[in-house]
Amino acid sequence: MRKPPALLKALGIVAALAALIPVGYLFFRLGAGSEKAIEELFRSRTIELLFNTTLLVVSVTLTALVIGFLQAWLTTRTNLGFGALFAVLATLPLAIPSYVMAFSFTATFPSISGFWPSWLVLSLATSPYVFLAVSAALVRTDASSEEVARTLGLTKWQVLVRVTWPQVRPAATASSLLVALYTLSEFGAIAILRFDTFTRAIYNAYRLSFDRTAAAALAVVLVLLTLVVIWFERRYRGDYLSISPASQKRVRISLGKARPLAVTGLLFIAVVAVGIPLYSLVNWSIIGSSTADLSQILEALLGSVSLAVLAGVAITVFALAIALWIVRYPTKLGRFVELSVWANHALPAIVVALALIFLGANLFPWLYQTTALLIFAFLILFLPNALGTMTTPIAQVPKSLEDVANSLGVKGNRSIFKVVLPIAAPGILAGAALVALTVLKELPATLLLRPTGTETLAVRLWSATEELAFSQAAPYALLLVVLGGLPALALNRQARKALSEVGK
Amino acid sequence: MLMQIKDLSLNYGDQVVLNNLNLDVNQGELTAVLGASGAGKSTLLRLIAGFESPTSGEIFIDSKLVSDSKDVVAPEKRGVGIVPQDSALFSHLTVSQNIGFGLPKGSDARINELLNLVGLSEYADRKPASLSGGQAQRVALARALAPRPKLILLDEPFSALDAELRARLREDVRRVLRAENATAILVTHDQEEALSLADRVAILRDGKIIQSGSPTEIYNSPVDLGIATFLGDSILVDGHVEDGKIITALGKITPLNKVSEGQVGVAAIRSENFYLQPNPSGDSEVIGRVFFGHDAVVEVQTPKLKIRARSNGPFAPEVGMKVTVWVRGAVNFYPSS
Repeated sequence: MRKPPALLKALGIVAALAALIPVGYLFFRLGAGSEKAIEELFRSRTIELLFNTTLLVVSVTLTALVIGFLQAWLTTRTNLGFGALFAVLATLPLAIPSYVMAFSFTATFPSISGFWPSWLVLSLATSPYVFLAVSAALVRTDASSEEVARTLGLTKWQVLVRVTWPQVRPAATASSLLVALYTLSEFGAIAILRFDTFTRAIYNAYRLSFDRTAAAALAVVLVLLTLVVIWFERRYRGDYLSISPASQKRVRISLGKARPLAVTGLLFIAVVAVGIPLYSLVNWSIIGSSTADLSQILEALLGSVSLAVLAGVAITVFALAIALWIVRYPTKLGRFVELSVWANHALPAIVVALALIFLGANLFPWLYQTTALLIFAFLILFLPNALGTMTTPIAQVPKSLEDVANSLGVKGNRSIFKVVLPIAAPGILAGAALVALTVLKELPATLLLRPTGTETLAVRLWSATEELAFSQAAPYALLLVVLGGLPALALNRQARKALSEVGK
Repeated sequence: MLMQIKDLSLNYGDQVVLNNLNLDVNQGELTAVLGASGAGKSTLLRLIAGFESPTSGEIFIDSKLVSDSKDVVAPEKRGVGIVPQDSALFSHLTVSQNIGFGLPKGSDARINELLNLVGLSEYADRKPASLSGGQAQRVALARALAPRPKLILLDEPFSALDAELRARLREDVRRVLRAENATAILVTHDQEEALSLADRVAILRDGKIIQSGSPTEIYNSPVDLGIATFLGDSILVDGHVEDGKIITALGKITPLNKVSEGQVGVAAIRSENFYLQPNPSGDSEVIGRVFFGHDAVVEVQTPKLKIRARSNGPFAPEVGMKVTVWVRGAVNFYPSS
């Protein structure tokens, strides 16, 4: 077997070590100030946060599951009509960062705050994850088994419960637990809508009182909650079922008299999830356009884009190195690197930011409040996603092509550059662009770690919203959707696949 | 008569899928509906199962009207079982749960009976993903038979299997259907399958049944040239009728069907009707040979035309040999209209 080039190993090990920083920090912090931390954990305030967070996570997850499942089932299996249109409408909220959606609601209804609006915004923002996973599963599962169930005496509603649901359950479970993780680590939307959960409390503890021990103690609880959700996901995901190619001929289930109700329901969801935000953003942008300071907007835009490009390139380099290592030269060390990078995939950004602030302030003062540290935070946060999107195109290049290249005179590992990377390039580029767009939209880590004077679209939106200057904030929100959200949606493989298959 | 289809038509917009189709199925019989792919075979089954409603016409099961253009009895109330092409097992259930799906709780005896019948008792607790294609089809058949439906529909159930497995499974399916005294309709594009398996064969073309009868009737007396060439490998030779014989470039041939003096038309000669006599001074020459083991197809250039003859494998003449071509037995003659 070939040996991995030293450069790949070096990059991989650096990434693995970086990935250990946040959790290492939490352990250190707890060890150093354990008494104070334990005291912090048993305050009634912490219990309240725990209750709020759990309530929000459970309610958002269930709501997103119901909305996403219904959208998927109605568009793929029934005679709803306008399937393609409704699929687009169900997917579109993905283009709106959740804190932008929260902003648009506050700007439209300034008096709202607390649990209900947070629940609504996060449910609408996350239901596309369930919709995409479940509709993909529905398109792939064999509709003829549903027809067979009819011939065996089941009514169409019994079929939904006894045949359709069990077949899409793994996809539904996995995606709704993704929603749970998303909600746990969400900061921007919850902070804008002023609902006290762990992320907001951690931010406030650090920002308002500079109480790092309290912030770290809360972060530990948040990470434990995250672990509980991940455990649930592993435990209840179930086996992915073997999928047979769907039969072409399929009669859609007739909704009968429920059809107008279903159409109205889906339209209503679309109006709230997409219509209100768009109206609000455009409306406030128009109001704000007369007083908008174009140079400020350009400055923030430049800040966002340069951070996105820098971080995108850095993350891509690391992700490629690790992907090549684990796909082409499977070794135990490579496996360990992959695992430690993956361990961070659900870590809330606010925890990572906290760890790096500590690292910068105490150990590497020259790094504190530099762009480099911010990029480093993005690397820890988004490397797992990038690794996911880049492993696939590399793994799809047959190993035999490298052997052929070698037999034709390409020396050793140079076949990576001659063969593997050129073939995998489209997938890699799409993955890199997706990572850069994710960085572009990032809020909490940027907020806590940015060097003084660095402005981004998200940060500007945040500060203007805090001052209730909606007309000032709106152009940033609109730019985030147009430059960040929509292109990211267009690059999303799962979304593209769903939109091309659903409604046929 | 168990099932009766009267003047059944189905259009998708301008596209005519079925056009005044008539078909009767007798109790306890296995009827094969044979047609080229795209002929509307699967659509016919979906209409019988109640998944689609006809544009016009009627379907009766047990003399009860179950489908017409206005009203379709729901699939779960028709007593029709279906075995789809891809078996479509419930992937989240075990083999025995699949078989028991349409049965009330506590029907273990019936499930075991069927497991035995299809020879899969050891697989009762397996998940479908671990079954081979042939085993999956057996489970699908057992599942459809379990509630004792009046009629079983088999939608090209062997098409996804390899040749050897297909032959074995055919035998099994026939045995199981007999044991259950089931009435069944099998649709297929494979004429060998239809002829070897069915009690009756119905040929579907242009959206209607153009001929139905026992396998021997269908094979020996195709009603038109299309069926003659569709069923088995036929060589078409121009000819005319003289003194009750067909006069062709290959000599005088006895007609199988009724002909009248002076008719001009085409004789359809099956490749197994040719006999190739090795003859150094013969006027025909072997120009190609495809060897199948048990037999061989030999291509021969006669003075006027090229023919394909089926010949006993080991004794088939070699390429380049001179032969005399004889036509054995009687053949069908189709006058040009």
